[in-house]
Amino acid sequence: MAKLILLWLKCVILYNAVDAVFEDQVGKFDWRQQYVGKVRFSHFDTHVQSSKKVLVATENNVFAALNTRTGELFWRHVDKSGPEGNIDALLHHGQDAILVVGNGRLLRSWDVNVGGLNWEIVLDSGSFQKACLVGQQGTVKNVAVLKKNIISLHYLSNGHQKWIENLPESETVDYQTVYSGGNGEVYALGIVPHSHVVIIAYSTDDGEIIKQISVEAPWLSNIVASCAVIGQGVLICVDSATPSLYMCDLHLNTHDLQMTQIPLQSLGLEVAPDFQPVLVSHQPNSAHQPLSEFFLQLGPDNFLLLQLNNGQIVTLRDFKPALLVSFATTGEKTIAAVMSPKNKTACSINLFSAETGRRLLDTTLIFVMDPNGGKPEKIYIQPFLKKDDSVGYRAMVQTEDHTLTFIQQPGRVMWTREEALSDVVTMEMVDLPLTGTQAELEGEFGKKAAIQDGLMSMVFKRLSSQLILLQAWIAHLWKLFYDARKPRSQVKNEVTIENLSRDEFNLQKMMVMVTASGKLFGIDSKTGSILWRHYLEDVPSNAAFKLMVQRTTAHFPHPPQCTLLIKDQDTGLTTLHVFNPIFGKKSHVTPPALPQPILQSFLLPLMDQDYAKVLLLVDDQYKVSAFPSTKNVLQQLQEMASSIFFYLVDSSQGRLSGYRLRTDLSTEQIWEVVIPMEIQRIVSVKGKRPNEHVHSQGRVMGDRSVLYKYLNPNLLAVVTESTDTHQERSFVGIILIDGVTGRIIHEAVQRKARGPVHVVHSENWVVYEYWSTKSRRNEFSVIELYEGMELYNSTVFSSLDRPHAPQVLQQSYIFPSAISTMEATLTEKGITSRHLLIGLPSGGILSLPKMFLDPRRPEIVSEQSREENLIPYAPELMIRTEWFINYNQSISRVRGIHTSPSGLESTCLVVAYGLDIYQTRVYPSKQFDVLKDDYDYMLISSVLLALFFATMISKRLAEVKLLNRAWR
Amino acid sequence: MWHSERIPLLLAFVQSVLVVGWCFTEMEAGPGAAMSTQTNGDQFKIEGRAIVPGVKTQDWVSTARVLVDGEEHVGFLRTDGSFAVNDVPSGSYVVEVVTPTYRFEPVRVDITSKGKMRARLVNYIKTSEVIRQPYPLQIRSSGPHSYFMKRETWGWTDFLMNPMVMMMVLPLLIIVLLPKVVNTNDPEMRKEMEQSMNMLNPNPELPDVSELMTKLFSGSKGSSKAGSSSKGTRPAAKRRGKHSGPSRAKKLSMQNNCADLDSWDQ
Repeated sequence: MAKLILLWLKCVILYNAVDAVFEDQVGKFDWRQQYVGKVRFSHFDTHVQSSKKVLVATENNVFAALNTRTGELFWRHVDKSGPEGNIDALLHHGQDAILVVGNGRLLRSWDVNVGGLNWEIVLDSGSFQKACLVGQQGTVKNVAVLKKNIISLHYLSNGHQKWIENLPESETVDYQTVYSGGNGEVYALGIVPHSHVVIIAYSTDDGEIIKQISVEAPWLSNIVASCAVIGQGVLICVDSATPSLYMCDLHLNTHDLQMTQIPLQSLGLEVAPDFQPVLVSHQPNSAHQPLSEFFLQLGPDNFLLLQLNNGQIVTLRDFKPALLVSFATTGEKTIAAVMSPKNKTACSINLFSAETGRRLLDTTLIFVMDPNGGKPEKIYIQPFLKKDDSVGYRAMVQTEDHTLTFIQQPGRVMWTREEALSDVVTMEMVDLPLTGTQAELEGEFGKKAAIQDGLMSMVFKRLSSQLILLQAWIAHLWKLFYDARKPRSQVKNEVTIENLSRDEFNLQKMMVMVTASGKLFGIDSKTGSILWRHYLEDVPSNAAFKLMVQRTTAHFPHPPQCTLLIKDQDTGLTTLHVFNPIFGKKSHVTPPALPQPILQSFLLPLMDQDYAKVLLLVDDQYKVSAFPSTKNVLQQLQEMASSIFFYLVDSSQGRLSGYRLRTDLSTEQIWEVVIPMEIQRIVSVKGKRPNEHVHSQGRVMGDRSVLYKYLNPNLLAVVTESTDTHQERSFVGIILIDGVTGRIIHEAVQRKARGPVHVVHSENWVVYEYWSTKSRRNEFSVIELYEGMELYNSTVFSSLDRPHAPQVLQQSYIFPSAISTMEATLTEKGITSRHLLIGLPSGGILSLPKMFLDPRRPEIVSEQSREENLIPYAPELMIRTEWFINYNQSISRVRGIHTSPSGLESTCLVVAYGLDIYQTRVYPSKQFDVLKDDYDYMLISSVLLALFFATMISKRLAEVKLLNRAWR
Repeated sequence: MWHSERIPLLLAFVQSVLVVGWCFTEMEAGPGAAMSTQTNGDQFKIEGRAIVPGVKTQDWVSTARVLVDGEEHVGFLRTDGSFAVNDVPSGSYVVEVVTPTYRFEPVRVDITSKGKMRARLVNYIKTSEVIRQPYPLQIRSSGPHSYFMKRETWGWTDFLMNPMVMMMVLPLLIIVLLPKVVNTNDPEMRKEMEQSMNMLNPNPELPDVSELMTKLFSGSKGSSKAGSSSKGTRPAAKRRGKHSGPSRAKKLSMQNNCADLDSWDQ
């Protein structure tokens, strides 16, 4: 028993030995940016005049309130991703926001001020069409939800259903929209395409059908796309074929209702060819009828403000050119905002009175378009009444690249939000370049320089570079002195592209992030500020991206070079985008045109004469092309061809195959492994990271012998899942294959388990996580490979010459949470111990020491295992909040964690991305190579000073004493 | 380690008591197995309430979420702290209330195919073990998360309270301060001081207590061989002290041989 207690104590001590964040380190070297995603619906909170909120519902199933002054989040609610959390509609009334979620499955009401849920109810099944607020006698009390076959009315206060009615003839009639003008009736509008429109009026009180009319409209196919309700309940539609407007009054109670045709020509209007005209109407208050003014879009850049006046359509104003229009209401005034292009780089927004079409004075606002961004897509206007009763406004512009820009008159940008960053696909961290002076010094010691120049010029160069250093130092001192005089608040150390330079320990890097929308970003890792952005316009929506660093910043004066591979997943056609990762500019190097679909791409360690690594692309004819493909490269490739191997994975046919390069850049297949598709399918294939270093070749055992690691750089971990998903028969398999020879090193099967499987493959170990269906829990399993007590060939590893199969050790553990993603820390030389960084659904990132996932953890403790510092085996791994590297800065929907070594061996840079982006540093073995940031300089200097004075005084005293003794 | 060794034992006992609950789980395996086959089965609702004692709900609900089996199902908290997760098919789930600030214990909720609900403590090691929890769930926060380690700060008090320092400082104080407090000019006092100082010094020749006691008892029985050895002097001196009476002599009895001789001279 006593032994057990001792053991347990030891366990506790070890658990405590792992470091965590200290409270004073908060925000010191970490930052978080929170995003919401591409905005689908947006409303300004208008129920209080001074409200600073704008509500946004996004395509990422996020509902949030943003601060209009700063652009920061007040609160945010992240729903389940996928169609079940999809936000179908956002209605806003007072301090309640009503959301329809999951194709009309749920109706939710949020309290806008607190950010808490008021109520949530489950609606009957059926595909959602439209929802609207229903008012009566000037107050809004209900919300109407129209589905494919039913219409229901709910109370705003508690969500209870007031009534529900089946829609008549819902098999043939396609009900598309619902309208209420605040007069006690709710209209459901349906259509039989190219035949007639069905109008049903329900009583708000009890759901009784007041009337049911059908109107002939053989030209109409879709109400939502081409109709709108204006004025006192007049349905107005536009037809591009005739081209003309059609009107009918919904309130008229006759059964032979007709659509009145108004040819556009009679109004003197013309539709742009091949353009489907669009109507934009506005209902300022759901309890009242809509405006009788509306916009008609006749071409991509042509809008008209029209008015319905006593059954006549009047043109108030013609806007050409105009890009976007929007209505907005403040108090009693309704205004129309029109955005029109000014010149190539700017747009102007003007306000017009909605009733008259007159331009309001002093309402011009200039919106400067980012040349590296997209075109404006939507504008949201927040108008307010000034003291003199004139209208002022702010505008939120959404552009194609998902950016939100909030502008104030006359064009001051208050904030921008790069919502594209909510969907980061892949990223790289690139070292910053040396400064001019640093580069000068580097150049002096370059090989080329030494050969070309004589002795004298070398001396001269030396002196001049010293002079430059001195100059830089003086400039630095001067800046320090200058800044010291200014008040602290004015001193800003803003990072711009111009003053970017590498720091002493290479802790500051450039984060190159690729987003799903096709926008690229360069972010400073220290502050999180976006230094450059570049929007690629012609990126297909289902593209897959692969980012590669071809040339780092180490080869001055050659600029660094990154290549982004953009592959259309349907056709397999690929384009390359070559750019400078520090400045974001497109490179002068023209990438090769790739007419064939690309199957595989990889960087070789070979370099061309300009120090760019060679990228090989394998097309579907198994032909290989190189980029860059200069003569030098091709020559090198021919020499190296016999030792270049690659593999292809065809997960649709369960086939893994290995190829070898021939000297004429064709390929030959050398192995193939087929995994039967009927039983299991390949989920993922993971190799090791090419920039990973392993410092120690083996582990010292308790008896002082060495257990050598099996460090095969060509090893692939192939994860399979069973096609049978029944919980008794499902399994997860892992196969370790040598990528060069195709030899299967090890195979393991986890029975009664299913995915999603997360894998980390590094050094001589593979860690994977799966769901155990039998015990209904998440489990971790670790496989470690060892050569044994002797190393076969200690100088070089060759897959072709490794006769002995490695020893395989495996152990499994219980993990008390689901996980979102997993990655291992990475350091410069691999001396530091490794941690696993685990993204949890709760938003935490757990830093779990690899020590806990060690298959050599003994069940019974012996003297030797204690000597080796092995933790005794315990089935359950713990989650301690002290191990969360992001403390309370939780990160929603973590999709990936990127780790990158820094110049310090102890430090690993970590970026977690998902809906949010979080950057921090971790020290898996604590900071052993620099003074800790809590190092007590005061203490050490005061002790030193005290000792110094003590010696001085005692020396003096001793002298006096000696003198006295001499006198005696 | 130790916990995990002990708890199952205890739990086995609990299980044997809760036979009814045990049967329930056995029954549970049936619908659980059937769950994966019935794709379009009934959907149920997990309800409950989360409480953070002493904190207004408005202050924390906007950052909170209810996660069922990771992010498989998501629910939100109402402004009064209650929650409902809709559209959950039958099965066994771990329900967790997640906020960045407060810690809530997860609860396992079992839903039978008929919609019968039960909540129990989460135990990943003994998954079938049942310790009932109230349903609808009542999840009470066990306090704020502790994310930070305490820094080892250096303070004067830490330094002074160090046992090694205390051991060094206290005798030093006595040496320096005592002569000042006590008047050393008085010869009598000085003598007493000296003696007490001697007392402080551990005497290598001092016999251990047991030996002393045996000697003492044997001496009282009559066989008094006082003065035969250096060790033997002590009881003899003591006895003499008792007879002579003065307190000074009593103190003498505890002294070494030298002091003994001094007293003899007197």
